Amino acid sequence: MSKSSGWWYGGVLVLLLATGVLALMAGTTWIGLPQVIYAASHPGSTTFVTVFSLRLPRVLSSLICGGSLAVAGALFQAVFRNPIADPSILGISSAADFFKLGGALLLPWLPGRNWVMAVVGGLVALIILTSGRALADPYRLIIVGVALDATFVGLQQLVSSGAAQVSRSTFNGTTWTDATTVLILGALGLIGALLLAPWANYLKLTDDALKSVGMPVNVIRWSLLLLGMYLAVSVTAVVGAIPFVGIVVPNVARRLVGHDYQTLVPFTMLAGAWLMLAADTLGRTVIVPSEISAATMMAVIGGPFVIILLQRGRGFHGMSTR
Amino acid sequence: MECQHVSYQYSHQTHGLHDLTGTFPTGQVTTIIGPNGAGKSTLLNLLAQRLPVQAGQILLDQQPIAQLKPKALAQQVAMVTQRHQLYDELTVREVVATGRLPYHGLLQAVPDAEVTPYLAANGLTELATTLMQDLSGGQQQRVWLAAALAQAPSVLLLDEPTTYLDVHFQQVLMTQLRQLAAQGMTVIQVLHDINQAFRASDWLWLLQDGKLVASGTPAQLRDAQLLAQVFATPIEIVDVPQLGPYIVQIPQ
Repeated sequence: MSKSSGWWYGGVLVLLLATGVLALMAGTTWIGLPQVIYAASHPGSTTFVTVFSLRLPRVLSSLICGGSLAVAGALFQAVFRNPIADPSILGISSAADFFKLGGALLLPWLPGRNWVMAVVGGLVALIILTSGRALADPYRLIIVGVALDATFVGLQQLVSSGAAQVSRSTFNGTTWTDATTVLILGALGLIGALLLAPWANYLKLTDDALKSVGMPVNVIRWSLLLLGMYLAVSVTAVVGAIPFVGIVVPNVARRLVGHDYQTLVPFTMLAGAWLMLAADTLGRTVIVPSEISAATMMAVIGGPFVIILLQRGRGFHGMSTR
Repeated sequence: MECQHVSYQYSHQTHGLHDLTGTFPTGQVTTIIGPNGAGKSTLLNLLAQRLPVQAGQILLDQQPIAQLKPKALAQQVAMVTQRHQLYDELTVREVVATGRLPYHGLLQAVPDAEVTPYLAANGLTELATTLMQDLSGGQQQRVWLAAALAQAPSVLLLDEPTTYLDVHFQQVLMTQLRQLAAQGMTVIQVLHDINQAFRASDWLWLLQDGKLVASGTPAQLRDAQLLAQVFATPIEIVDVPQLGPYIVQIPQ
């Protein structure tokens, strides 16, 4: 890791800590730091309930979800060799969301229903995405992905017009049960991503070059793809589809800490966690007592980012598929 | 390395390779020559197992290479292709390190100490942390050659290795290949420059329409009539002082 990367790591850790503390203090009622510390030692007080039963699980969930989505984006970009590939833009998340809704309607008895159905949805979208010629052409991939996304969003609207909205895409009302689920699912995926980060570096070479040094290209590609899908749909299963985190964070991270995935993946994880927490905290404090969902916040931040990234022509910097 | 009745047919295409039998002498530089579409690159890709042999077999130390596991093959055979591509930033050291991957587990990192000697041997120490995209075509070619040599192969395959090199570096490369062969490596390359092929090789394979027309030493194959027939153009061999025999195409 270079010296400047070290500084960026330090910076994002400080931001995380500061925003985390702020997120516990801010909300419908402002709770000062001394009161937060006081509440920690007085379980049962109203402040304790607000901070540790309402705000803390929400903070933890958004941290893990942000980290998961950002890493999922980085892995997809490595596998598809395309800097704007991401489970949310390629229809993986919306497929997971649609299947989650389908599960709620048709298989209400299924154990771990939301997660199982989200994984099934993610797999279906992944198979459609990788079965045709989209893999060979970065532009075709994005167009197929966007069409897939629109299809599943449309299907979901079609079905949900007659049913209660299952997907919330917000951290509002996150319970400790939700937070624990997210923590366990997310931690497993993120540990996997840290272990497999060197594989993402290998995919900078062509398939032929990898095969000629005896590397099992398909094992590498599918492991990373399934891991990225798992990370993204685990968020969808608990919270809902949140767009753009996986595009914004890894692309900014590459500028800051470089293109080596062994440095990039941990940084992306931390930066994604921070961005999600910041977006959620901002979303629930700017129009108190109402709030803006995390998905909306990210769409507002991420949409313009992607437009600038591509319009300035630097989006494909260093990842040209030529 | 040798081919026994090797055939390969591309689907929907007429050309391919038909019943090739011949050897690539160990510790020598063999150059495959022939007109466009003769099957030179196809043969190289078969030798590297990038394409599967459809009929016949390719033997390395009397063992069919098709039976070797990918990593075992990569420890024996390395290939430098005509045009290497990268999808994202890699440094020179990282590219050379890929040559050591066949010697490590899938989750193991390649130790720096294993890469450093190959950087040094190829004059790349100074460039170790430079990004590939910041190098000239010739420098990149050197890095890919270093990566192939890091595989410590017994057979080195090169497809048009002089394409991005100026005359000076072409000469440097040809000398380096001679040295590698002298150390016992079997070097097999495809070259378009027929005079370079005759000068820089110990052994030649002459391909035409997917068939092996002739193989032998440059002296044996320096036959104007044979070359004229294979390349479908009038050819004459002239004696150039200080250079020796030179193959020239006569304008029709």
